Amino acid sequence: MQRHHYSAVVLLSVGLIVSGIASADFLSMYKADALHPSASLTKSGMLSDYVPALKGTNGDTRVYYYESGNPGATILLLGGTHPNESAGFIAATVLVENAHVAKGRLIVVPQACASGFTVTDPLEGCPTHFTVAAQSGPRTFRFGARGGNPLHQWPDPLVYRHFPSGQQLSGMESRNLNRSYPGRENGSFMEKVGYAFVQMIKKEKVDIAFDLHEAAPEVMIINAIITHEKGSDIGASAVLNLEFEDLKYSLEISPKNFHGLSHREWGDSTDVVPFLMETSNPIQGRMRGITNEKLILEGQDPFYRIAAQLGTVRITYELDGEPLSLRVARHLQGFRRVVEAYNEAHPEKTAIVENVPEYLSVVKQGVGNFLR
Amino acid sequence: MKFIHSLCILALLTLAALPVFGQSKDKCEQPILITSAGQSADVTMAAMLCKKAGLTAKAVNRATAADVKDVKTLIIVPGFSSKGLGAAGVSREQEMDRVKEVIAAAQKQKIKIVMLHIGGKPRRGQQSDDFNKLSAEVSVHMIVVKQGDEDKFFSTIASAKNIGIDIVEKIVDAAKPLDGLFKKN
Repeated sequence: MQRHHYSAVVLLSVGLIVSGIASADFLSMYKADALHPSASLTKSGMLSDYVPALKGTNGDTRVYYYESGNPGATILLLGGTHPNESAGFIAATVLVENAHVAKGRLIVVPQACASGFTVTDPLEGCPTHFTVAAQSGPRTFRFGARGGNPLHQWPDPLVYRHFPSGQQLSGMESRNLNRSYPGRENGSFMEKVGYAFVQMIKKEKVDIAFDLHEAAPEVMIINAIITHEKGSDIGASAVLNLEFEDLKYSLEISPKNFHGLSHREWGDSTDVVPFLMETSNPIQGRMRGITNEKLILEGQDPFYRIAAQLGTVRITYELDGEPLSLRVARHLQGFRRVVEAYNEAHPEKTAIVENVPEYLSVVKQGVGNFLR
Repeated sequence: MKFIHSLCILALLTLAALPVFGQSKDKCEQPILITSAGQSADVTMAAMLCKKAGLTAKAVNRATAADVKDVKTLIIVPGFSSKGLGAAGVSREQEMDRVKEVIAAAQKQKIKIVMLHIGGKPRRGQQSDDFNKLSAEVSVHMIVVKQGDEDKFFSTIASAKNIGIDIVEKIVDAAKPLDGLFKKN
């Protein structure tokens, strides 16, 4: 064996080791997050129960049902539509692990876009996981991408044409669940996922639905409740009640000509009154500095702090940061007040969800205290 | 001397009572038309505030000159919302033209205009301030949630144009000054 053969063996070995480590890292994102439902869970199922074509695919995801046995409204709550918007996923998980329904029904899907939890967005330098100190000890959750995994729907078209409106969007939006409603049974991978949620809403006769999101501090629609026009009075009432608790929200009405989004398409194609809520998350922003697990959990970024202090750009960023506990607390309190407003507007068909942690408890004690 | 003394007291009492008479004369009347300037959903909340204050009001997001015909007061709720404009299917320029048209119709019919800015910071900034300025300057009174006037944007207009202004802490606090502006039916 000559000297250059030794060099080749060493280099190949190093390459194999690096590839092995990287592969293990990539594959770790396929390991499902363990959730521990509350004792009130009635049953769990899969999204593919509504569209069998999704069975066994990366679009299938767990659905949790809480049924009181007392007639009332049915509530649906989705977290993880965008898997890099962790507060939505964790708020849904808090509900799964704590909720008790005294009247009506609650259906929770914590990881609506299951495919997006298996990958991170390229070139963003985001961590793959984050760990929360829960009641039982540290619990690790995945931090995914905004859209589905390109391996599950490939290639992206140059232009994504939304069905059925024909609206044109950039190709990558074809993997965005929140541009894929109402979807279609024989459509693309993500259109099938969108279609399944619409079928769920119809089959379960959902009355009020939530889609929990986050956005960069510089996005205009932040700390907002967005609803279809049929939910404007309920939304306004909730915003006023939240203001009593010093929680500022702006109410936005879904544009009629912006298609594919839950607050538009769920409202147009079903009887449900949809609400989408946004919190401010610095890890999604363009001004952010070090992008790591700490930023997901603590939400403190020095560059956003400077921007907020200067006041020269319009951002929504608290000087103490936007920690995960605060963002989850806002989602939970928003959920609570919108349901209350819905009940006031529909006294003939109400829903009562108990054991939803209070805003101040989550902020002060930390969200981990409400995870098993 | 006694007579002059009594005359002075009478004159003072008359002067003291003048603002009260003036206020009563200047009070806004119902029915009210509420419209947006920028298509934010704050209009829905303004309608709720009027309802809370027991005022007869109709909210029309995209009111036109025809809508001000049978009303006595126009409440403008300014604040830009890209989603709201999308929901209404209009551009920012079309919205600005509509607001100007409604204001012109109200002024022509001598209908009082009240500006209600309740959206705080999210309804301030480059996109919103054209609507804010336009509606503030033509109003007889402004009610502003404090967060929207941190830079004294509305207070400055109020003081320069001698327009009454109430700054309130929260949206719900706007109901009281709103109630105080109107004659009771």
